[in-house]
Amino acid sequence: MDILEYAWLIPVIPLLAFVIVGFLGNRMKDKGGLVAILGVGGGMVLALWTAFEILTTGRVYEVSMDWVVLSSEYRLEIGVFLDNVAAMMLIVVSFIAFLVVVYSTAYIHDQGPRRHRYYTEICLFVGVMLGLVLANNFIQMFIFWELVGLCSYLLIGFWFERPAAARAAKKAFLVTRVGDVMFMIGLFLLFTELKTLNFQLVWSALDTADAATLAFAGFFLFGGAIGKSAQFPLHDWLPDAMEGPTTVSALIHAATMVNAGVYLVARAFPILTQSAEVSLFVGVIGGITAFIAATMALCAPKIKGVLAYSTVSQLGYMILALGAGAYMWHFGHYVEASIAFGAGLFHLMNHAFFKGLLFLGAGSVIHYVHTEDLNKMGGLGKYMKVTSITMLIASISIAGIPPLSGFWSKDEVLAVTFQAGDANLTFMLLWILGVLTAFMTAFYMFRMWFMVFKGKENEGTKHATEHAHHKHEAPVAMLLPLVVLAALAFGSGFSLFIGDGFFGSIYYHEAHVLSIGERLTDVFTSPLTYVSIIAAVSGIVLAYFSFLKTTVSAEKFVSKGFPKAMHKLLLDRYKFPVAYDKIGYVGLYGFSLLLDKFDRYVIDGIVNAISAFLIGAGGVVRKAQTGFVQSYTTLLLAGVSLIIILLYVVGVLR
Amino acid sequence: MNIPLEYILVLSSSLFIVGAAGVILKKNAIMVLMSIELMLNAANVNMVAFSSYYGDARGQVFALFSIGIAAAEVAVGLAILLNLNKLKKTVNVDDINLLRW
Repeated sequence: MDILEYAWLIPVIPLLAFVIVGFLGNRMKDKGGLVAILGVGGGMVLALWTAFEILTTGRVYEVSMDWVVLSSEYRLEIGVFLDNVAAMMLIVVSFIAFLVVVYSTAYIHDQGPRRHRYYTEICLFVGVMLGLVLANNFIQMFIFWELVGLCSYLLIGFWFERPAAARAAKKAFLVTRVGDVMFMIGLFLLFTELKTLNFQLVWSALDTADAATLAFAGFFLFGGAIGKSAQFPLHDWLPDAMEGPTTVSALIHAATMVNAGVYLVARAFPILTQSAEVSLFVGVIGGITAFIAATMALCAPKIKGVLAYSTVSQLGYMILALGAGAYMWHFGHYVEASIAFGAGLFHLMNHAFFKGLLFLGAGSVIHYVHTEDLNKMGGLGKYMKVTSITMLIASISIAGIPPLSGFWSKDEVLAVTFQAGDANLTFMLLWILGVLTAFMTAFYMFRMWFMVFKGKENEGTKHATEHAHHKHEAPVAMLLPLVVLAALAFGSGFSLFIGDGFFGSIYYHEAHVLSIGERLTDVFTSPLTYVSIIAAVSGIVLAYFSFLKTTVSAEKFVSKGFPKAMHKLLLDRYKFPVAYDKIGYVGLYGFSLLLDKFDRYVIDGIVNAISAFLIGAGGVVRKAQTGFVQSYTTLLLAGVSLIIILLYVVGVLR
Repeated sequence: MNIPLEYILVLSSSLFIVGAAGVILKKNAIMVLMSIELMLNAANVNMVAFSSYYGDARGQVFALFSIGIAAAEVAVGLAILLNLNKLKKTVNVDDINLLRW
């Protein structure tokens, strides 16, 4: 039996669970939680099996059929495409989604009948995300892409009666829509130029296509990724998306939504390599995003806010690596480019594990103290042992301390960026931004960790620990996913050393196989590695002194002068929400008003003028209808006589 | 001895013009109806004249047919006038302009 022939079932099983939970869930005692676990779990088993088959054999599998035949030249397909990148995505998405669903059963147990809606939507979310990964062409990907957007809208707005949640859902939907429109433009360009949207056919047809069109197509496809993966300047929806349940944040940030954008860039990578400008643009956007999101995370007041900015920042790293890879490929550095491609996806995988863990841990904390405000927490470490230790592992991992997973991938991302600096100095600047980001990442993660688990017990903690029903930190269903993810956050970096290593399995065109010894010398003889380690360690040390020992007072630092203004700007998120509102309100609403005026006064004016003319003319002409029989007769006779005379004159009667 | 065709055509034309003038100018609806009869009969005269000119009997058959139809039409017309008279107490066409704007 070839498991790959059943790969199409991977999204179908969760979608089946979606249908069952959707129609029957409200009659079940647990509102469909068990069915959701079974559905997502079934999808996960099949996905892991499929991924194992792909990664061990190195096969590329495709099956497709015609879906819409527009003409003999233009046809759209529907099908399944599996290669190493898709396999890696399958592992990440299905596994984390499964853990999140297990976790959810405990996390939202107090939501009553509303759980029904939650389980229904989450099954759909997982199903369409897996469908997105399996797509064999861009249009199928786009359809699932839109469905992912819909599900995120529904789940972010889970508590729709809270205005903030409703606004956040709307914002997420509308802002990503800007990217989606660009994605669509990219699709149209690609389709008219290459007459196909099938991945493999597109990749093989690139050499013969018009370079300028491809550059634009790549640019617009990347625009889709900017929206979905919350890249600068469309990043601002993601921090707002924290209004949803924490489990949803975990799913969006670790497993599904935001990874879709990176996955799209990976799929469009060959298109990006066609143009140096576009790949440089990709890298620059990634670097800027990583940097500014990290700065905003520095002083975020809420625990989930820190994690949200951190996600945006880490996504920036991935995009930066892919951009650097595309740029190097364009200039013929094929080996480095394929490592860069792998590095971006490596970081995606590691990030998914530790960020999933961080969000689930944050969920556990919020579950315990019932507040998201970091200033109200503190000293939770002794009440929440499992959570604090697992989150510490995740924080060390994301900060980039060897040998945890975050170190390996972040180091690789920075290394490839530095290499791309040889080809273009801009990447050298981006590398500096990347190192600064690494420093800030370590700082803000440990700021969060210290503020939550160490230090003085603030009112939230006191309030929570006074209550008798809070003897236990969280149910097993919540702690177990934390432990599993902690193991992965610790060890997923070691996939570098299993078999052919990560870069030997997930690559673009050329596998890059290194033995364990070679890999270690490669990493630890490079001075760059020590630069990033130093950045991480100094970030942690600074956080230690300012938030645990308080020898460096953060409050004093931001109390006056330039730091104060900067702090204010960061809390205002660089005024991006205001700018969005301005653009949305003044720009779009103003434009709409203009169109409204045009419609009212020009279009309607023309219509009204025509009708007024006809009514007036009718009023004049109808006077001819006198009702006197004799005047009609006169006219009749005159008319007939006239016709006869005319016929005589023109000669018909002669 | 044959009457030349032109004579008869002059007669029928005169008859037709007299009829047309009556339809247009007479104010009494009965007179208008009678004028219509004149115009019809001008046509009949024409048909009979051409029938004899070409030696073809179909024209005379048609004339008889036309006379029959005219009788029926007059019956309808007079019935309308009777009702009008009952309704409006007049048969003056200038006072009857019901189908106006």
